[in-house]
Amino acid sequence: MFINLNLLLGATELGLIYAIMALGVYLTFRTLDFPDLTVDGSFTLGAAVSAVLIAGGHSPWLGLLLAPVAGILAGLATGVLHTRFKITPLLAGILTMTALYSVNLRVMGKANVPLLGLPSIYDTLARSGIPEKYAVLAFGVGCVVLLVFLLYWLFQTELGLALRATGDNETMIKSLGINGNSMKLLGLGLGNGLVALSGAAIAQFQGFADMSMGIGMIIAGLASVIIGEVLLGSRSLLRVLIAVVGGSVVYRVIIAIVLRLGFQATDMKLFTAALVVLALTVPQFRGKQEYDSLRR
Amino acid sequence: MAELVIKEVTKAFNKGTINEKTALDDLSLTLEKGDFVTVIGSNGAGKSSLLNAIAGLWPVDKGRIWLAGQDLTGLPDYQRAALIGRVFQDPMLGTAASMTIEENLALAAKRGMRRGLKKALTYQRRKQMKEELAKLGLGLENRLITPVGLLSGGQRQALTLLMAIYQEPQLLLLDEHTAALDPKTGEVVLKLTKNIVESLKLTTIMVTHNIKDALKIGNRTIMMHEGRIVLDISGPQREQMTTEDILRLFAETSGSQFSNDRMLLVQ
Repeated sequence: MFINLNLLLGATELGLIYAIMALGVYLTFRTLDFPDLTVDGSFTLGAAVSAVLIAGGHSPWLGLLLAPVAGILAGLATGVLHTRFKITPLLAGILTMTALYSVNLRVMGKANVPLLGLPSIYDTLARSGIPEKYAVLAFGVGCVVLLVFLLYWLFQTELGLALRATGDNETMIKSLGINGNSMKLLGLGLGNGLVALSGAAIAQFQGFADMSMGIGMIIAGLASVIIGEVLLGSRSLLRVLIAVVGGSVVYRVIIAIVLRLGFQATDMKLFTAALVVLALTVPQFRGKQEYDSLRR
Repeated sequence: MAELVIKEVTKAFNKGTINEKTALDDLSLTLEKGDFVTVIGSNGAGKSSLLNAIAGLWPVDKGRIWLAGQDLTGLPDYQRAALIGRVFQDPMLGTAASMTIEENLALAAKRGMRRGLKKALTYQRRKQMKEELAKLGLGLENRLITPVGLLSGGQRQALTLLMAIYQEPQLLLLDEHTAALDPKTGEVVLKLTKNIVESLKLTTIMVTHNIKDALKIGNRTIMMHEGRIVLDISGPQREQMTTEDILRLFAETSGSQFSNDRMLLVQ
């Protein structure tokens, strides 16, 4: 069979773990309206922190927990560049991303940290009774459900409303006594924390952390968000969060199918970029919500 | 001490260039509690700059500003917002279009307060919102979960007005808030403004393009020209003033014609 269950299972596993990253991208790009390119660097940073800790003999769960801390710091760096030094969002993100390349290499000590034969979070889940075949799926579902729930709750708190309003109307939030800079720092920190968490989970899933694993991540995240919004809509808060997760899974399934058609893995960046361009230019895809910060 | 004290405030833009423009020139103004002051003046007279200086959009070059006994001079705009409610000329500026009416009001309900991880919308708060929205008489109380972007300009401006006073401010700043609306809607919003300000006895500064409104509403009218206050009238003197008088006075004090592309000269 051309599309078999194993292909779908593998793509779904990847889609769910990458969905954590897509939720982070949604938080910065859509909620905050901040086109944040830190993502390419913070994804690798999360993977690097996690891999180095595991290679150093620490628990894979510690690696998973400390990765988002590093990601939050990366997001804050971009936030400070933008809010304090008045650098445009795009350039602030590129600066942090570039600096992170060196930081990531320092963290890992070399371009690639293999984790073969070392314990991963999935191993410990499999040992706790979950069938080995579904350990990754169980982690992905559990993690994504928890995060969607947390974000949905956050978006409805007083703080969450202020965060959402910051991405909508900066003049208004100031007139209501909200410090827009604090909100941007909060959003960028949380967003990149999620991205780094995703990077850590991916590194443990594929069994290595690599310098180049974050390249094009922001576009993949954006593609997931757009696919989700087109397929599932964005009528309510909960719906759009679920749509982002769904978009990530669908995106990975599409990639798996395209690979099966005989394309090289290295062709996928071109494919993904074309997908995003298509989504931004074909009017019916854009629907009600325009990607204003991405178009001129 | 008076409620609002503006002392010798100067603000120039593009300083040191050929485009240098003095928006506020050694301006002083004092408002008593409950004063409802209307501000008129030609284009570039400094009317909006006066409001922006009070709201703290940018630091002033010289002078000090006190409100309710508090020195505002060094505070950023978002901190001054605890004391000040604002409505802008552009209906798009006062509300978050992608968020619902109840979410916008919930944001306004915490103006100047700490925002924590408590649920923003509770049964109690929704009930209060409905009561307040009903007072606007626009039927918005039945549309709590409508995104604000779907409302008309007039509805958005009325909502912004409600948001500005939802937490009672020490000072209300209205910057030609009916200018972008069609005349009929503008009239409705102006009437709402009058009712709200008078019933709450809010200290208010309203910039307007309509001299007739400026003389009719509030208890005091000031006219600005080139960053200074050239006319300040209240009481019987103001009651007897007509649009023609204002235009004549303007020509005398400024030596030029009153020009404002939005000014309505009709009686």
